[in-house]
Amino acid sequence: MVFSSINFLYYFLPVVFLLYFTVPSRAKNLVLLVSSLFFYFYGEPVYLILMIAVSFSGYLHGLWINRAKDGRYAKLSLISSLFFGLAPLLYFKYTDFLIKNINFIFGLNIPALNLDLPIGISFYSFQILSYTIDVYKGNAKVQKSFVNFAAYVSLFPQLIAGPIVRYTAVESELVCRTHSFRDFAYGINRFIIGLSKKVIMANSLGELVDIMARSNEKAVLLYWLKAIPFMLQVYYDFSGYSDMAIGLGRIFGFCFPENFNYPFISKSITEFWRRWHISLGTWFKDYVYIPLGGNRNGTGKWLRNIFLVWFLTGFWHGAEWNFILWGLYFAIFLSVEKLFLLKVLDKTPAFLRHIYTLFFTLISFVLFNGNGLSECFHNFRGMFGFLDISFAGAETIYYLKSYSVTLLIAAIGSTPLPKTLVTKIKDNKTASIVLNIFEPLVQASLLLLVTAYLIDGSFNPFLYFRF
Amino acid sequence: MRDSIKNAVSAILFTIIIFGFSVGNIISPDIDISLSERRALAQAPKFTINALLNGDFFNELEEYTLDQFVLRDRFRDLKAFMAFGLLRQRDNNRIYIVNGNISKLEYPLNEKSVLNAADKISGIYNKYLANINAGYAIIPDKNFFLAPDNGYLAIDYGKMSEIMDENMANVKYIDIFESLSIDDYYRTDIHWSQDRLIGLADKILAGMGNSKKASEIDYVQKALYPFYGAYYGQAAVKIDPDTLIYLTNAALENARVFDHYYKEYGSIYEPDLFYGIDPYDVFLSGQKPLVTVENPESTTNKGLLLFKDSFGNSIAPLLLAGYSKITLVDLRLASSDALDEFIDFSEYQDALFLYCTQTLNNSYSLR
Repeated sequence: MVFSSINFLYYFLPVVFLLYFTVPSRAKNLVLLVSSLFFYFYGEPVYLILMIAVSFSGYLHGLWINRAKDGRYAKLSLISSLFFGLAPLLYFKYTDFLIKNINFIFGLNIPALNLDLPIGISFYSFQILSYTIDVYKGNAKVQKSFVNFAAYVSLFPQLIAGPIVRYTAVESELVCRTHSFRDFAYGINRFIIGLSKKVIMANSLGELVDIMARSNEKAVLLYWLKAIPFMLQVYYDFSGYSDMAIGLGRIFGFCFPENFNYPFISKSITEFWRRWHISLGTWFKDYVYIPLGGNRNGTGKWLRNIFLVWFLTGFWHGAEWNFILWGLYFAIFLSVEKLFLLKVLDKTPAFLRHIYTLFFTLISFVLFNGNGLSECFHNFRGMFGFLDISFAGAETIYYLKSYSVTLLIAAIGSTPLPKTLVTKIKDNKTASIVLNIFEPLVQASLLLLVTAYLIDGSFNPFLYFRF
Repeated sequence: MRDSIKNAVSAILFTIIIFGFSVGNIISPDIDISLSERRALAQAPKFTINALLNGDFFNELEEYTLDQFVLRDRFRDLKAFMAFGLLRQRDNNRIYIVNGNISKLEYPLNEKSVLNAADKISGIYNKYLANINAGYAIIPDKNFFLAPDNGYLAIDYGKMSEIMDENMANVKYIDIFESLSIDDYYRTDIHWSQDRLIGLADKILAGMGNSKKASEIDYVQKALYPFYGAYYGQAAVKIDPDTLIYLTNAALENARVFDHYYKEYGSIYEPDLFYGIDPYDVFLSGQKPLVTVENPESTTNKGLLLFKDSFGNSIAPLLLAGYSKITLVDLRLASSDALDEFIDFSEYQDALFLYCTQTLNNSYSLR
């Protein structure tokens, strides 16, 4: 089930609210667990068993690691938990990639398994790993209640597209959390903002990307009109989902970590990755980069660690070479920036730094969006006029005009400008009162507008589902 | 307003909306057909364990709840308002509006499809019509008149005509592009308005070498109102309805219409169907694979085979001025391979292929 669906908004959510807020505190996790399992079952009936099995494995490994304390068995249990935690992810996500490359290298014809990727497996696998590793390192207490642990893994607000909520972030809230009108209202606001970002902005931008991708027109502008809206679409899609997750989490008393912080205002690639998919970046930093030694063992090993982490980051996003290349592309920028470029950038005017970051981020999303490397390079050639094509055609110009307001709103909305404006209004007492009157009305209007979009159209896939 | 009150209002409003629509959807009766969208709405899915486990049940449930959502049409209005009014999109779901005239983008030109249509017509000609006087005409869609001058995308109509011309060696072309204007079409529908077609019917008859004229016949206008055309529902924008006018007289009232598939007789005009899903079904009862219209008062013995899409239904009664009978063939519903099972081709002197540009650009439905 997706948040941006009629069945979630008008059937699932009311029932869960009714159950959750009427049962006593001790039963709330059970309500969340059962509703989360149903939420997953709705979209992935068959793979529900896999998710329960992986959760049970994580739960047992946590107990074993805790029981063994610091001994050899603790390490064995950790290794075992890594194996059982990663094996399903590797099997479902990467087997066909492996087969394809073995076939290519050795000229074999091993048939692909064509497995459906279980929804959210990349996210919940990492959450379980964070738990067992943190228990092993003593950073988290073992969870003795399977209901509590399974509720953490399967928690529907963040189950299928993150943010990657580490166990330590919600450890105490799993046992005891408070609920208030303030949190409920904050959660609603955040949820509706995320829902609007997804349904109104991301889907509209997605339509444009789709139209451009299907067009037979050959024009330089067309390639740009595919690339820029796609970058914005991914941002609105994924950050919208994170907003919805954070909002729903708050309604149920959880404080999930932020996942996006206006990444497109970054002035370097390093800063961009501090603002984009924060929960994934910090996960790799804390569970891969730092354990490998980080930057402590000389430049050579430091560079090795960066390239390994970004290879894995790219590979996490998808089992295709363009995703690996995408990760390594960032590894190059991050290395170069850390070696010397950041010092140069510090002396460069801010607008040039913005242009530098936006340009190379845009290029990265062309890599990200390509269906294979040849398509990526074809798109690059198209963007930079190496295809011997005209600058613009009738179709490109028509859709540029048609979506100009959408693109403008999307661009402005991806900056802190709207938030700054609201904050400034709130500084004025009278304006703040007016804003408080309008805010609930705007929220209600947006919810109805989202409903209208859902009813009118069927273009509604979540991009991050494929991860 | 204090923050605490604002929070309470936010929470209450949100709760009212999601619980209100939830209850509203559950208690409101299911609707079979959407008149505005002209389609059957999804009904509650049948529950089986197999459907539950393979995901079909929830997929169908999703379609059902979307289709049966209360105030569905009002929500579609709201979305159209957002797209046109606030986001200033030039079209909404490919529908656009120019001066109260609704049209749908048809772009780009699908040359393979046009070629397929030409091949299909040539094949029919070679198989059945070698000894018959055959012609074809292309009906421009509304985009031909609306799109280029108003900044909307339009196919290359010249190229379409060229492809047809190059691949239809034995079938003569009757050019009707210049005989039509946007005023000859309904504002809310894809089709042309019959009362504006008398001159065009004359031109087609002349193009087929027929000396009779529709303009020499006396017709009585009958009006049906309000006519909300096919585009009206898709546009989800408030626009004044059209008036559906049909031209009739005693001869047309007495004409017999034979449905070859259902083996039954009917009338040229069926005003009762105006109140059904598609009011345009008034003309020859809508889409049927094969029907023959016989004119008992005809002064000629000529027969016409009219290969057509839905546009043909409204012009056929006017073409009857030059023929004793017209057999209308809808190749979207009747297979061209089996036509000789129903039609004795020796009874016809003329054959006309009359298709709208949209049909030619999406011709793979021609069988």
